[in-house]
Parts: sequence; structure tokens; C-alpha cells
Amino acid sequence: MLNKIFAVALVLLLVTSFGIAVQAETVQGGTFRYGMTTNPRGMFNPILYTEIYDGWVIDAVFDGLIEIDAELQPQPNLAESWEISADGLSITFHLNEGVKFHDGVEVTAKDVEYTYLTILHPEYTGVRYGNFRVLDGAEEYKAGETDFVPGIEVLDDYTIRFSTRQTFAPLLVQMNYGILPSHLLADIPVGQLEMADFNADPIGTGPFTFVEFSTGQHVILEANEEYFRGRPNIDTLVFQKVAAHAAPIYLQQNRVDFIEISPEHYPQVDVMDFVDIYVYEALNYSYIAFNLRQDRFADVHVRQALKYGFDRETYVDIILEGFGIVANAPMPQASWAFSDEAVHDYPYKPELASEMLAEAGWTESGDGVLEKDDMRLEFELLVPEGSRTDEQMALLFQQNMADLGVKVNLMFMDFSSTADRIDAREFDMFAMGWSLSVDPDPYGIWHSTVPWNDPGFYNDRSDELIEMGRSETDMETRQELYAEWQQLINRELPYIFLNYAVTIGAANGRVRGLDTDPGPYGPLVGRQLLRSVWLEQ
Amino acid sequence: MWRYLIRRTLFQGVPVLLGFTFLLYLMITVAPGSPVSHLRGIPDLHPGVVAQRQAQLGVDQPFIVQYLRWLGRTLRGDLGRSFDSGRRPVADLIRERMPATILLSLASILLGWGIGIPIGILSARYQYSVFDYAITFFAFVGISIPSFFFGLILLYIFAAQLNVLPAGGFFMAGEARTLMGYFTYLILPALTLGLGTIASIARYMRASLLEVISQDYLRTARAKGLRENMVIYKHALRNALLPILTLIGFLIPTIFSGAVIVENIFAWPGLGSLAVQAVSERNYPVIMGINLMFAVLVFIGSIVADVSYAVADPRIRYD
Repeated sequence: MLNKIFAVALVLLLVTSFGIAVQAETVQGGTFRYGMTTNPRGMFNPILYTEIYDGWVIDAVFDGLIEIDAELQPQPNLAESWEISADGLSITFHLNEGVKFHDGVEVTAKDVEYTYLTILHPEYTGVRYGNFRVLDGAEEYKAGETDFVPGIEVLDDYTIRFSTRQTFAPLLVQMNYGILPSHLLADIPVGQLEMADFNADPIGTGPFTFVEFSTGQHVILEANEEYFRGRPNIDTLVFQKVAAHAAPIYLQQNRVDFIEISPEHYPQVDVMDFVDIYVYEALNYSYIAFNLRQDRFADVHVRQALKYGFDRETYVDIILEGFGIVANAPMPQASWAFSDEAVHDYPYKPELASEMLAEAGWTESGDGVLEKDDMRLEFELLVPEGSRTDEQMALLFQQNMADLGVKVNLMFMDFSSTADRIDAREFDMFAMGWSLSVDPDPYGIWHSTVPWNDPGFYNDRSDELIEMGRSETDMETRQELYAEWQQLINRELPYIFLNYAVTIGAANGRVRGLDTDPGPYGPLVGRQLLRSVWLEQ
Repeated sequence: MWRYLIRRTLFQGVPVLLGFTFLLYLMITVAPGSPVSHLRGIPDLHPGVVAQRQAQLGVDQPFIVQYLRWLGRTLRGDLGRSFDSGRRPVADLIRERMPATILLSLASILLGWGIGIPIGILSARYQYSVFDYAITFFAFVGISIPSFFFGLILLYIFAAQLNVLPAGGFFMAGEARTLMGYFTYLILPALTLGLGTIASIARYMRASLLEVISQDYLRTARAKGLRENMVIYKHALRNALLPILTLIGFLIPTIFSGAVIVENIFAWPGLGSLAVQAVSERNYPVIMGINLMFAVLVFIGSIVADVSYAVADPRIRYD
């Protein structure tokens, strides 16, 4: 399946390089239509939004201090440079001078301070506090004990320093949230900020200015002529709502210039000769989680046997049409922390699986289901509805398990109900996925103290590695720590890892200047879209 | 008549709406799932945020407190704010999406009546002919076929294969709003939504006309030598149409519930697609707002139906 991805990528590379050779002259102008299959919510505020589609719009309207490149490394943006102190406890950012918000007011360190201080405010209604509570004084400020956060320090109009009490490696790449105009927002009580009209008609510094949001239909943006990094090539950027099942038809009718498609649409789109397809690895993976609080799953041999007994190659090759990478640990291949060194790949070996279960003392009962003492390998798998590929995966799992003498009862429920059961820990196994952040720090999902540790995985060495990883500032040392951690999880298997996701982007041939190796966020996210892309007229 | 309307609204409409909203709120709060479950997708979430969010939205309170708060606000004319990350006023969401749903519903009602009535008449006029059997068969299929399936077939034929109609949506950004444009965007969803109406109106029309035709005064009309067309279109049709007109009140709920499905197939920017999203996210204020509005419309529909009886048939009086 990897070969297929590489082949596609190679062909694309040829196609695009040929295209560039024919018409290398960048042309300005035109309307770029970006298809989105879900409505934005109209929360175009970088510190309050939660939906990815609102995020796309925000990316075009706002700038952060830094931006993230294809290798997930920080690059200058509003901040022209930064330095990290020798003890690793503080980062000082130097802002570009003369950058203006769309209303003409200059951006200063005050705006940066406002943006991050608001996240820490006791009445803040968004979800980003967890990313910044490491800042010095943040917890006291959040608790309302003080009005002052020493961890955010404005040194002059163009210099701001963030500091922490302990070293915290993910801090720098988290500094990419769009900077808000404090002159428009500072008078609004923080608790009321989510109700502000600003959120549906935002003003940022970004390459595009906001024009119109039409519920359920589209968002229209226009090129910012004054953009400090140069005006974008395209004049108008439209995010157009499309019906997900009809995505190929929108492409065929030239109604969208770019859209992410699902694997099941690939064959239909592949035959359109005016459409170029881009495949890129995402920072997502899917899994089936065990409930380790149950005695039958406490034995690691049972978990390993079930993983050997599940034909994940068939899942990726057939159900996902080859668009995915069989996963064995919780670090996607797209992450710089990915390591397959000494990571076991658990190929499909049903006989081995049966042997392992027999060795662990499981014997067939009267009805063919494996039993041991008063335990029985019959359990429920919760599957959130809505994705056909997930449903097919669950059916394959059920079939594979039946071959081992393990009875799986499938329970398809809507997402919210599934989440309820997981939160109450009333599950045997469930299938879901994670979309990870830029920094590979697994603390929020895997540390034994966090609520998202759904399997109930408690392992001292794992906690230790996670804690060391987030406080280590040297990237190579972090890579080594995470390599060991991946081996540990790969051995302990609190999840059956299914696949690292890939995203399939389909672009009309008139779109030029797309990055063929865009990194996990795709060729069109953020400023990459806006700098280089142009439309053949 | 006015006294009847006031009585009907006060003693029937208000209690029914109150009971309806109470039951609905009860159902959506006891159903599994929570308005904050989308937070589960955020890996770095601080553990305190979930409880904080529940408190901000008021969903940490018992059902009855939540309902009474909602009711109090609603009676003061405030439908509250959406629970999703957009936090937009429910009234705004409904106002923005209402026109598209009304347009689609009207188009499908027009199609239903404009096509259903003529073929019902012809079907009765030529009872037991090949045409009649064909219509009976069509009506049977039209009533039975699920709209999501019929909609997808239409999409496949007219958008994917013939490439003559858009695959959904309602005008692209910047597209001129021409009459032809309205037609191209409306025709498939309206046909999908209207199919059931066409079929049932045709059947009702046929039955109604046949019943009238068998009556004595028509035998008299024929006996005095009137031509058959005159008998049917002049004397029979007017009486046969009356019961059909009153159907409109009963069709309104069907149209709205159908719109929920059809709008999702065609990415139609109306209330139906909003409703589906709200239900899957347990967005209580949006679910309540949309359903309350539909309930009011259905109630108005049933009053219209009753009044239209009286208007159409002088023997019926409400005073």
C-alpha cells in the first residue's frame, strides 16, 4: 500500500514539474474555491474555535508569532526571530515592525500579551488553557489569586517574553495561535468574548481579509493588498460547503478547485484527467482500545494475540483502498518523533494468535468461545457511526476474532453516545482515532493521570518517559526518549493500533504552485496556500 | 370564526406546545450523549475544562431546572445561544436558514399539487385504463421509495452522468441569482421532497373524484345530456377538490420532516441540515428552537386545514 502512495506521489511530481515547465510565469488573480464538507460554525477567533473548518478560515485571516513548516518545525511569522534562554525556561520573541491589522492599526507586543493572557483568564471559555498553564504564574491567575502573570512579559512594543517554571518543550510550537487585535477586544469581558460579533466578522493581520460568512454555504475572503509578507496571488478565496458524498461531482463540474476526498471516492476522481491528486500523511491514527480494568484484558499475551489475529493489512489495502499505513505505535509516521526501531509489526498470524491464547490458559467452551476460569472472551466493541470504512473494519475484526474463538458483539452508536459510555468506563473495547497536535508530547492521552487515558493504562516507565520527553529541550534526546516509549507501548498494547491516516487532496489542474511535499497539514493549509498558489487563467 | 380561532389557540395550541416542549426537552436530556462530548477530540485538553463548559452551558443542572430556564427565556422571546463552538443566537441561525427551507417546501408543495392533481383527475376520468394503472403503480412506488435513495438516484443521473444539474448547494459564492439558477438548484431537491406528495395527492384526487362521480346529481347532469367533460370538469371537479384543499394542513408536517433528510443529501442550506447537526451534537437550544418553530407551523397548518373546510363547505360552521 505504501508503494501505491509513492507511485501516486511520483506521478504527481512529474505532472506538476511538467506543468511548471510549460507555464512558469506566476499569474495574479482569480477566485480559488476550497471545498469543505462541514459547515464552519462562525467562530473565527483563534483562541476560541474548536472546529477544524473554522481553523482553515482563521489560518488565512490571522498570523501567529510563528508558523509551522512541513517538517513541523517553527518558522518566523509575526515574530521575525526569537531566542530561548540558556536554562530553557524562557522564549523572547522579536516582532516584525510595521505589521498592520486589516483595520490599519499596528500590531504590537500588547496584542500578543492580550491574546495569551486571555487564554489564562479565569473566565476564558475556550479549550486552550491546558497548552499554556505551564507559564509562570498561570495557575494562580486562572484561580483568580493574582492579576499578574510573570510568565508573560512585554519588554517593549516589539518584544515579548514567555517563561515557565520548568522546561516545557512543546511551548514554542504552540505559539502559532493567531494574534488578536486588543484595541477591538480588550473592553469585552473575557466571559462574554465568545458572544462577540467580532468572531463572525474577524480582523487579523493575515494574507486575506474577511468578507462574508453565509451559514451553511460559504466563507468569502479577499487578498490583503497590504500583507506584510507580500500580497497573495489569488484575489478571492472562497470556502465552499459541499455535500460530502458528492465531492467527485463538484470536482467534475469545476465547482471546487481543491477538496479532500475519502478513499472510497478515489477511483471516481482518479479517472478525471484534469484533476491532480495529492496524498500526504496526516498526524492521525485510528485504534481499538482495550478496557484494561477488566481481568481478561489484563494479560498482555491476550492483547498481543488479538492483535496478531486481526488482519490489518486487509483493512488498509482493501477497505481503505491502500490509503493508510498499518500502525503499531501511537506516533504517526508524519511526526518527527516516529520511530520503528525495535517496534514489532504484529503481522496477521491467526495460528500464532490461537497458540498464544492456548498457552495463556484459554480453552474452548461448549459454544466454541474461549474461556478461562470465570472469564470469557466475548465482548462488545463500540463503534461510532458515520464512517463506512470504520464499520467495515469492525465487521472484519468480528470475523477475524470469530476464527480465534473470540466472540465480538458490535455496537454501532452515534459519537456522543459512544463518548458517554467511554467516559463512564462502561465499555469492553471501542474503536476511535486521534488527531494529534504539532508537538509529539503524548502526555494528554497517555499519562496515567489524564482523563483521556481511556484504557486505564498505568505504567511507571511510560509516565517517566513522557515526563522526561516534555521537559527535554534537545530534539535528538527527545527522539530517543520517544523511541523507547513507542517500543514500550508497542509491547504493552493498551490499544490495537490500526492505521496512520493519509489525506487525499484533489485539485483542479488550473491550480498551480502547490507544494508536492506539504507535510501533514496538506498543501493548502495556512500561509503555504497563500504564498505560492496561483491560478492558470 | 375569530372566536373559534382564539379558543383553539388558547385552549388547545398553548397546552399542546407546552406539553410538546416539555416532553422534547426531557427526551433530549435523558438520551445518552452530552453537549460537550466534542471536547473528547482535543488531546491537550485541561481536565477541568469539561466541567467548566458544562457549568457555562447550564447542562450540569437537573432536567427540570434546565427546562424551566429555557421556557422562561423563550417566553421572553429569547431562544438562547447555540451550544456549539460558534455560540451564535439560535434565533439568528433559524432566521438565516428559514428562507431556504421555506423555498424548498413551497417548491415541493407546488410540484406536488401541480402534478398530483392533474394526473389524479385524468386517472379518475379514465378509470381502469392503462394510464390509470400506470399512475397507480407510480403512486405506489412514489409513496414507498425512501427519499434519500430517490435523491441519490437523481444526483447520479442528472449531476454525475448527464452533468446538467449541480450536485447540491444553493448558488455558489458570487454566482448571479437568475431565475434559471433558482430552477437548476431547486429542481432535484424539490422533486425528491415532492415525490411523496405528488403520489399521495394523485391518489386522493382520484378517489375523491370517483366518489363524486358516482353521485346522483351527476347522473342527473348526464341524463340531461351534458357532455362527459362538462360533467366532470364543471360539476364534479369543484366538489371533488374541496377535500384535497384541506389536505395541505396535514402535508406540512410531512414536508418539514422530509426536508430534514433531503437538505442533507443536497447540501441545502436550510433548517433540516442544521437540525441533523444539532441532534448529533446534542445542541439543546438549537434542537428546541427548530422543533418549536416546526410545531408552531404544524399547528398553524392544522388550523388552516380546519378553516379551509369551513370556507370550502358552507355546511361546516365553527361558531
